[in-house]
Amino acid sequence: MTGINKWITHLTKNQVSIYPLVVFRIIFGILMFFSTLRFILKGWVHDLYEVPTYFFTYYGFDWVSPLSNPFMYVLFLLLLITCIFIIFGLLYRANTVLFFIIFTYIELIDKTNYLNHYYFISLISLLLILIPANSYFSLDAYFGICKRKKTIQAWQINIIKLQIGLVYFFAGISKLNYHWLIEAQPLINWLKHQSDFPVIGKLFLYDFTAYLFSWVSAIFDIFIFFLLIDKRSRWISYFVAFVFHIMTAIMFPIGVFPYVMIASTLIFFNDNFHKKIIDFISKYGLLNSSKSIEEKNNYQTKTNSVLKFFLIGFFTLQLFLPLRFMLYPGKLFWTEQGYRFSWRVMLIEKAGYSQFYIHEPKMDRKMLIQNRDYLTPQQEKMMSTQPDMILQYAHFLSKTFKDSCLVESNGEIIKMGRNPKITADITVSLFNKGSRKFIDSEKNLSEIKRGFGNKEWILDYED
Amino acid sequence: MNTRFLKFLYILSALLIIQSCKKSGCTDPNALNYDIDAQKEDNGCLYEDYDKLSLLTNLADNYIIPSLDAYKSRIITLNIHVDSFIENPSISNLTLLRTNWEDALLNWQDIGFLDFGPSEYILLRSQTNTFPIDTTELNNSITLADWNLEYASSYDSKGLQALDYLLFKPGYTDSELITYFQNNTNAKNYLKAVAEDLNQNINYVTNQWVSYREDFINDFEVTQSNFSTNSQGSSISNIINALCLHYEFYIRRGKVGLPLGVFNGFSQLELPELVECYYSGKSTQNLVRSINSLRKYVTGSSYLNNDNGLGLDDYMDFVNAEQSTQQLSTVIDNQFLTILDEVNNINGPLSEEIINNKSQITQTYQELQQLVPYIKVDMTSALGVLITYQDNDGD
Repeated sequence: MTGINKWITHLTKNQVSIYPLVVFRIIFGILMFFSTLRFILKGWVHDLYEVPTYFFTYYGFDWVSPLSNPFMYVLFLLLLITCIFIIFGLLYRANTVLFFIIFTYIELIDKTNYLNHYYFISLISLLLILIPANSYFSLDAYFGICKRKKTIQAWQINIIKLQIGLVYFFAGISKLNYHWLIEAQPLINWLKHQSDFPVIGKLFLYDFTAYLFSWVSAIFDIFIFFLLIDKRSRWISYFVAFVFHIMTAIMFPIGVFPYVMIASTLIFFNDNFHKKIIDFISKYGLLNSSKSIEEKNNYQTKTNSVLKFFLIGFFTLQLFLPLRFMLYPGKLFWTEQGYRFSWRVMLIEKAGYSQFYIHEPKMDRKMLIQNRDYLTPQQEKMMSTQPDMILQYAHFLSKTFKDSCLVESNGEIIKMGRNPKITADITVSLFNKGSRKFIDSEKNLSEIKRGFGNKEWILDYED
Repeated sequence: MNTRFLKFLYILSALLIIQSCKKSGCTDPNALNYDIDAQKEDNGCLYEDYDKLSLLTNLADNYIIPSLDAYKSRIITLNIHVDSFIENPSISNLTLLRTNWEDALLNWQDIGFLDFGPSEYILLRSQTNTFPIDTTELNNSITLADWNLEYASSYDSKGLQALDYLLFKPGYTDSELITYFQNNTNAKNYLKAVAEDLNQNINYVTNQWVSYREDFINDFEVTQSNFSTNSQGSSISNIINALCLHYEFYIRRGKVGLPLGVFNGFSQLELPELVECYYSGKSTQNLVRSINSLRKYVTGSSYLNNDNGLGLDDYMDFVNAEQSTQQLSTVIDNQFLTILDEVNNINGPLSEEIINNKSQITQTYQELQQLVPYIKVDMTSALGVLITYQDNDGD
């Protein structure tokens, strides 16, 4: 028993060097600065938050809506500014709080834009609020806004490592499925379009390569965390991670995610490594660490119990979310119930086509809805394969036509009533095995409640 | 070498020997190294390097460029006949002009779905074949002798469909139409302006293709930026997106769905005046032609002599795309044939058949509709064409 206690103390209360955390803070700030800048420069603020007229909000977060022009831009600029403050460690706590709130708010606006790495950034920024990454090599310490410390408690750095570990681990676990391992799907298809990849492109023509990639990446994801925490395998595993992420960056349009992971995993290196980075930066005078006097005494901060329970709750949730899909019947990749927030990256190839109908009350007549009148192409594409979005869209249509009068081309006037019936014909293809019917096309979607219950109106997937 | 390792090797080789009793090799007959004796798939099948360069070269040199040129020469001939008609509005010249217009429009159906690159840049489709025509605006322009065909607002009063109206003016007998043109200089000028505008547009496109060809076959935009092929802006993505859009919106919807009333609210009342070539009644032949050309293009056939070359169908086969246990390429081609069967059962102008033979047109529309998911979902997804505007993590 004492052994375990000792081990827990070692992982939580022990005093460790702050260097890795400081470097993490700086790199995180820089990465977020450039990825936010990239987002703005690509015109996505306009495309994603100003062009759409309807937004697919998350269940329970329907009150979130985008700000009107030009305030979305103001928000993104604010995000850029908080990044700069985080890099220099000035007013750190306030800025990490601000970053977390703004970033998460933006992500909550429309689930069309859900990406695992955005979710990762939200979680990391939440954790950063709780830890004193500004206690050293920062303007806060320089100006005396916070106490200067060279050591911190071990948990303050281990929660970041744990979070990164969970991402890799669950990404690996989610690859342990029939399609990924036995069929090498979807890579077997994707790689064939990559035969002009430099040097090794020709290898992509062999099915064997897809199998190799599938298995290696599954093994990599599951074990990388354990290899990174062990100092004997750290360099080699970091090198493997580096190559792995660079390859995915070149092959797939996944934006900044690979770079976020490459940079984040640096946190696993030892103090000396990070000290060298800090010395390197201070040598070029970007931020001078040597000005103030070294502080010798370590502050034995009492970890307050609220924080402790918060973190236990946080990580329990992190363990639960990726596994919640097991509570639902049916094929996960088909129904996508419990799919998001589970570190399932590049796992499926899915495409859909949907036609929605609004029905005339008490009559047998229906009208075809032009999706492009209400949704952007990206929204339509995402909605067509994801049942919760299909339901939301149906509800939106029902609400739009509620209590309205439509004038037909022959002068006929049609009253839509209080809760117009909506049905949808949807075909979806999974792993290029042919499109097939996705949902019960007779079902009145406007009557179905949203929520976490099983969506029994999704048709079974037949192999 | 320690003994444990030797033992491991020993077991491994024993396992391999047991395995090889069943001859393993490539069991896919489509593969280059197909082993007829193999009983066990070793996942080592080697396929012909699906050469995108050859595909794009074939499409450009054997379909796209010849079809654009063919249409262009039709337009040149059309202009000659417009000139002689204006000079001498006679019945025989009118008949000749009509025949040439008909041919030009049929040739247009061969290139309508090539709406990317130079064609997309000048909105060739909207400039050439927008229907229905705004006859009020057209007549006003003629009466007031005031028009500028460059304006986007004039797109629905010019192009091949404006000629459909002018050459088959409703309520005019042929001799009355001759008289109309004889006495109306503005009408003559307008006719000429429309024909010249058509010429100018296709000239631009064919001229641009001289240099665009290189970029197209080398997938210039993509090799410039990264290696994620078939992404937004790549040649494959361009041709697929243009093809899907044209088929879904301008063939299925425009040529049949809208006039049939499928999109007309709850009443689904027929709107026959929305058909292509409403005035000449040539809608059906143009529908047939557009389906035939699309099929030809997908199969990579040569425009001039129908020789089958590398096409999108071969690309689908290369990635083993399937649809209900059949090859996707076969399913798509069969669907084209089913559509053609239906269309060939239509024996008159669509505007009339929609009223008189509604069940046949409805049947045709359903078959047209059936092709949409095959090309929009199955084909795009098989060819790795993402309709992506942002990053994605492949969910």
